[in-house]
Formats: sequence, C-alpha cells, structure tokens
Amino acid sequence: MARYGMVIDLNTCIGCNACTMACKAEHATPKGIFWAKVLEKEVGKFPAARRIFLPVLCNHCKNPICQEVCPTGATYKRQDGIVLIDYDMCIGCRSCMEACPYGPRAFYESDGAYYPGERTAYEKSQQDFSEGVVMKCNFCVERVDQGLDPACVVTCVTECRVFGDLEDPQSEVSRLVADKKARPLLPEKGLEPSVFYVGS
Amino acid sequence: MAARIDEFLIGVKPQREWGWLVISYLFLGGAGAGLFLISLYIDHAWAGLLGISVLVLGTLLLFLDLGRPERFWRAFFRPWSSWISRGCFFITLMVLFGALQIAPGLGFLWENGSALGSVIKAVSVAAAVLVMIYTGFVLSPSPAIPFWNSALFPVIFFVYSLLAGIDILILASPFLPGAPLDLVSLERLQIYLALACLLLVLSHLSVMSSSAVAARESIRLLTRGRWGLLFLGGVIVAGLVVPLALSWAVLWKSQAQAVFAFTVILALLRLFGDYLFRFLVIRVGLYDPLL
Repeated sequence: MARYGMVIDLNTCIGCNACTMACKAEHATPKGIFWAKVLEKEVGKFPAARRIFLPVLCNHCKNPICQEVCPTGATYKRQDGIVLIDYDMCIGCRSCMEACPYGPRAFYESDGAYYPGERTAYEKSQQDFSEGVVMKCNFCVERVDQGLDPACVVTCVTECRVFGDLEDPQSEVSRLVADKKARPLLPEKGLEPSVFYVGS
Repeated sequence: MAARIDEFLIGVKPQREWGWLVISYLFLGGAGAGLFLISLYIDHAWAGLLGISVLVLGTLLLFLDLGRPERFWRAFFRPWSSWISRGCFFITLMVLFGALQIAPGLGFLWENGSALGSVIKAVSVAAAVLVMIYTGFVLSPSPAIPFWNSALFPVIFFVYSLLAGIDILILASPFLPGAPLDLVSLERLQIYLALACLLLVLSHLSVMSSSAVAARESIRLLTRGRWGLLFLGGVIVAGLVVPLALSWAVLWKSQAQAVFAFTVILALLRLFGDYLFRFLVIRVGLYDPLL
C-alpha cells in the first residue's frame, strides 16, 4: 500500500509563496486561513544576515496525534497515508490543533468569509467545509486521486517540492529521502511525519 | 479573520485556540466534581446538588466553546482514544448517578443503604474523581505543548478541584438547607490541600525548567515575563501562601473557632488563585519552534 509523502528542498526554496497562493486558489480557503504557507526567520548578523524559509503544510503523519485526540472520529487516515477531516463530523473543539506540534490546522470562525453573507460561485465549487470546523491541508487529495501532484508541487517555480510514494523504493521521494538524508520536522515528537526536508 | 504575523515566522508560538470558555470549564468542572465528592464525605445532599449544578454550568460553557455545538453528541464517539470523548462519559455519569445519589437526601426515591444505593454511590464517586482528573489527561499526553506534557497535571487538577469545591461549599454554607457545616474542619482540610497544591505546582515548574525550549519559555513567562505578577502574586502568594499562613496561624495554632467572614476571605483568595492557575496554564501553552 502506498504512503504518500513530500520532500521539500530548503536550499532551493526562495520564499516566493507561490505554493501559498496555489493552495488558496485550489481550495478557496477562507480569509486568514492558509493550508500551506512559508515561514521565515532572520538568521545571522549584519553584514552576514539572511532570511531562511520553511514551507509548511500538514505532515500527514504515520502516527497522527490529531486522529488520536479527535473525540468524534472526524479526523481519519486513508490507507495511502493521507490524513483527512470529515467536515460533517467535526464539532470544532480544536483539540487536534492543540495536539499537533506542526500548526497546520486552522479553525474556520464565522467571520472568515471574504464576502460575508454569501459564498461566490467559485467558493461554492471548491469548498467542502462549513463554518465552525477545523480544516487543514489534504495533500490535494482530489488531484492525487486523479494521478496528479498537489497544487503546491506543480506551481513551485524552483521545483523544490517532490511528491510521491514513500513506500516505493524507486520513487523520487524515496530516493531523495535515502540519498540526501532528508529529515522531518521535530522527529522527537514521535509522530513520523510524511513530509521531509533536505538542505538548511 | 485576519492572519497574525507570527503565523509566518519560525519560533516559539502560543496556543490561541482555547480561551476563557475552556478555562472557565476547567475551573467550574473540577470545582463542581470536587464539591460533589466532599458532599459525600460530609453526607450533605444539598451540597451535592450544588456540586452537580456547578459542573453543569461549566459544561454549558464548554458546549458554547464548540464551533458546531449542535453536533456535540458526536463527541461520545471515540472513548477508546480521545480523553475529551472519555470526559463526555465521565460528566454524563457524574450528573446522572450523582443526581440518583443525592435524591434520597432531598427526599426522593429510595432509602439510603440499599445495595442499589451502594452501587450508585460507588459509580458517582468514581465519575466525580474522573471528572476532576481527566482534564489533566487532555493536556498531558500532548507532545505539541511541552509545558502541558507532564504526568503531574491530573494530580494537580485533582487537588485544586477538591480545594475549589470546598471553597465553594464554604461560600455557599449560609444558604444551604440541611445541617450546618463544620467550617473549622473544612478549613483545616484546606491547609493540607493548599500545601499539596503549592508543592505540586512548584514541582511542575521544577521539572519543566529542564524540559524543551517552549516549556522553558512558559516558565519564563510565569516567573519573570508577562504573567509573572499574576502567577507569583496571584496563584502562589494570594492563592496559596497567604491563605495557608492565615489559616495555620488562626485555626491550627490557637484552636480558635472559625469566624465565617475569615473563612470567606480565605476561600475567595484560594478560588481566585485556582482560576488564575488554570487561566495561566492555558495561556502559557507554547509550541516548540519547528527549526
């Protein structure tokens, strides 16, 4: 059985946030909510100061703590490792947000619509969630099920993201993980994320 | 909803999802269960009714905190993995069996002392203890927020809940029907409980001071940072040390009779400290930096 994952090359990322916008366009996420985003930090001192970038999204962990703490079963993991939320079951308790150390989840509050009162035709076609629930990156499952890569991967201008099957030793993600000593974020938390990073 | 700038920065980040409704539930839920438990010890049905009412009030606040409160019943679906789900069962059991337990004392249903009555009492006691501690288990297994990731929280919440339950009982004592309460005995019990709270809270801080980056930052906020005055002045001094010292000096040493006004002041101080403690525990929850 496949286990979908992603490798992100931090040496290649230029922090352009094309992935952030592609994700918003793909999923029509509400105002202030980003399923994918690029974090940044200033390191070093003048004149050697520089910014480093860290693209983040749901890690689709092998041991998802969000699934464990969810009191309703709204958070679940598919056989291919993609962790999803059934928005019709979520009660908005946000326990998953408190339990996840990676911070990819967002709570859709009632003031989150770009156009209060009604959703645009585009939002209606793209959104499968409602107000009062927790939401997050779904690895573009609607695209993956059609054999396509997630929107953040295909839009990346520096091609720093690679998506594929971590269980297939011939896949590019598996080779990158093996050859470039890719590492997940916060491995000490024991959640076995499916998103890996190479470079620094 | 506007995105906050620190959402896009790498660093220690505060939890912002649980606010005053959850904090108030932690306080009222624990205090209600603690009050119910002590009501069984002193055999006072009206105090038990008050305890159940306080728990129900706290649960209503928790209900209001949900994004989709009309779906609350779904929270009963995962008791094998989720402490929140287990908590729903504990609250339900305590309210139902607690009501059955106090019913004879209020003049309803069966006589106390029957086999059925013993079963009801045992279940209601177990449920009350579980309501007092399960919120600690909601926080402690989380790897995300190191300051919460401590096995001491269920114990701390148990002792604080008992402390707060007795304080509410002291405050309500003039208005409760039934036999008058022995305030001196209750106040003496509070000395031990406040001392236990003090030791447990300080132990937690000691353990966390050598933990992950975010936990050390939580400790800094509580002792030298933004929340220092509230924690040291409110939780430790006003909420525990001052009541301990006054209670010890007046009740223990001199064997004096408790003056109601005196116990009320001590109870209010301890309740203030208990609420502040739960407020600060939630507010200083910080996530470790990703890099």
